Amino acid sequence: MSLKVVVGIKWVPNTQAVRFDPKTGTLIREGVPSIVNPHDLDAVELALQLKERYGAKVTAISMAPPSAIKGLEHVIGMGIDDAILVSDRVFAGSDTLATSYVIAQTLKRIGDFDLALFGQETIDSSTAHIPAQVAGWLELPYMYYVDRVEEVDEKQRTVTVRRMLEDRLEWYQLKMPAILGVAMKSQKPRPVSIYNKLRVRMENPIQVWSNKELGLDPRCLGLKGSPTLVSKVTWTPEVPRKKQVIEGPPSEAVKKLVEKLCEEGVLPFEC
Amino acid sequence: MSAEKKVSLAEKRRQKKVDCDKLCPEWGCAQPYEYEGVWVVGEVDEQGITEPSLQMLTPARRIADKLETFVEGILLGSDREQLEKAAKEMIYHGADRVRILVSEELATYIPGVYGEAIARLAEARKPEVIFLAATMRGREIAPYVAGLLKAGITADCTQFEVDEETGDLLMIRPPFAAILLAYIKTPFRRPQIATARPNIFPLPPRDESREGEIVWENPEDYKLSKPPISLVKVEMLKRSEVPIEKAEYIVSGGRGVGTKEGFKTLEELAEILGGVVAGSRKAVDLGLIPHERQVGQTGKSVRPKLYIAVGISGAAQHVIGIREAGLVVAINKDPDAPIFKNADYGIVADWREALPILIEELRKLKERSGKTG
Ligand SMILES: Cc1cc2nc3c(=O)[nH]c(=O)nc-3n(C[C@H](O)[C@H](O)[C@H](O)COP(=O)(O)OP(=O)(O)OC[C@H]3O[C@@H](n4cnc5c(N)ncnc54)[C@H](O)[C@@H]3O)c2cc1C
Ligand SMILES: Cc1cc2nc3c(=O)[nH]c(=O)nc-3n(C[C@H](O)[C@H](O)[C@H](O)COP(=O)(O)OP(=O)(O)OC[C@H]3O[C@@H](n4cnc5c(N)ncnc54)[C@H](O)[C@@H]3O)c2cc1C
Repeated sequence: MSLKVVVGIKWVPNTQAVRFDPKTGTLIREGVPSIVNPHDLDAVELALQLKERYGAKVTAISMAPPSAIKGLEHVIGMGIDDAILVSDRVFAGSDTLATSYVIAQTLKRIGDFDLALFGQETIDSSTAHIPAQVAGWLELPYMYYVDRVEEVDEKQRTVTVRRMLEDRLEWYQLKMPAILGVAMKSQKPRPVSIYNKLRVRMENPIQVWSNKELGLDPRCLGLKGSPTLVSKVTWTPEVPRKKQVIEGPPSEAVKKLVEKLCEEGVLPFEC
Repeated sequence: MSAEKKVSLAEKRRQKKVDCDKLCPEWGCAQPYEYEGVWVVGEVDEQGITEPSLQMLTPARRIADKLETFVEGILLGSDREQLEKAAKEMIYHGADRVRILVSEELATYIPGVYGEAIARLAEARKPEVIFLAATMRGREIAPYVAGLLKAGITADCTQFEVDEETGDLLMIRPPFAAILLAYIKTPFRRPQIATARPNIFPLPPRDESREGEIVWENPEDYKLSKPPISLVKVEMLKRSEVPIEKAEYIVSGGRGVGTKEGFKTLEELAEILGGVVAGSRKAVDLGLIPHERQVGQTGKSVRPKLYIAVGISGAAQHVIGIREAGLVVAINKDPDAPIFKNADYGIVADWREALPILIEELRKLKERSGKTG
């Protein structure tokens, strides 16, 4: 009986490529490609290390529109064994509670997993809610900001992890199954290999589950299953600033700036 | 028009009903009028109650006054004396009452255990609103509480208001583009849970004459499930540098600074001012500074006396983090860079030229004031 690890993947618009319409302040989504949330690659990398150390079988899951198949192919290319795309129109418009519900139910259907790894947060909405909410639905132990798995004890069914807060390192031991949020930039995600990429075509390792398979009450899904609701959108009020550009060649401008700073009385020493 | 009787917000709240058949059966159903009060969960560390959790009393007080209800502080732990001190601080800073749960199970901090305790308390006491500071610990506990309560939660709010029609809390946060603000509410579900990053709200005034009740909850009423987690060990990190959210002087660099070498020059300037170096997300992405020194929507909010932005374009997601900064100075070679619209004083120049002069000028001043003063 080997270790079974699940990794959660979000398919997100590439924020580097996003442009804003300066007049309306809205996103220009056209032509913006989606990518695997970069912070999820840290979770993928950690899972692949567990595969090497303990012979774990690793499954990626993503709740997303069909185009996310590309993202799942990417992580299979990195070495993930297989993947489940959870995709259905009834999931559209989910807030974090509704998203975590579907992910929790997907994990339940997978059944015998030992660890579910998630990215710490996404680059598009960055709430960092999902891992803890999933733990809440399933009432499983969880830990955030994990940068290292020290040990998995398959007999005792425990995992010991390290995590870093602002001022301390902490080591915790969790009973498995457990949920881990993997710290951002904590790993060096490996590149895709051609050999693994070929598996996508040869073995067809991606399943698609719709709500037919999950059989969840539509009142718990999508907009209906989302307690939060965006009621309106407005402009951010501008902070009043002086907006004075000091003219002249750098040496003169800097001297004038220092005079201004003196007048404002903001320097930590007398002028 | 005049015939319409003016209904108070408190009245409107009590009239609010939800149709249980329409809600997800997994949530369980309760009526909004069963819930009352605004909670602030206090985070306590070795030094006592933390500043970010006291800051949350600022919006809590305002919202409670609008809703004509009370502010309650929530404290958890095992050290009675320390908790009582923390409770008094919460009252001095605006809480009407503080509820404390003391239990041996809360002796070491384990997120799942703290989260469960808060959820159990909330199930019993039914607060209308729960505020938590989005510190690293707050960010890991808050969504767990929401997950257990099957309640909505809004992360990283920058403002709160009350919907005058319904009494719903409006949780206001920047969506994808920080130039816009989204008003989020959870009309069918209580409690309404929200977090805000440290320094988004100022510390409320401290008034030692404020009085309030301290309620010691009976731990027997809140048996927590045996935690399947244990803390194995802790290692304190020696941090010599001041965290950016506490710094009075910040020299911040962006992609325009370009290299680690360039950031050395920024450090030199920061040292003269007795401040610290921070940066934009691009600087973090380039590996020039660690994420904990990132300013902005997905980094930290800072409130120094003086913020000097060097080679930073001034994207909306960046400047949202300096809304509370005192004076903002920008140095950028592009006269059209948006940072100049978000700064008090700007210099259009290559930083490689301007910064050494600024360092020199300030060093002269500092030495002179050191001699006379
Ligand atoms: C700007 C913005 C702000 C928002 N604010 C809120 C809010 O405050 N409250 C709220 O309830 N909703 C909010 N939403 C909706 C929310 O983004 C979605 O519910 C989203 O599906 C999950 O949230 P996240 O991206 O923040 O995930 P996070 O909690 O940041 O994600 C953490 C990790 O969970 C995993 N994960 C996340 N999504 C999936 C998925 N679909 N499939 C598999 N794994 C996944 C990944 O490993 C990821 O790294 C917001 C949306 C936007 C665009
Ligand atoms: C959801 C989301 C969240 C985000 N969160 C954050 C956040 O928290 N914080 C953040 O900072 N960004 C954030 N961003 C990114 C943000 O949109 C910008 O991309 C980023 O702030 C730009 O960083 P920059 O100013 O360093 O780089 P650039 O935009 O590339 O600007 C570099 C500037 O340096 C100037 N320059 C170049 N050379 C010199 C020189 N020699 N001398 C002087 N000036 C020079 C250029 O004129 C230019 O203005 C977020 C983006 C998204 C989509």
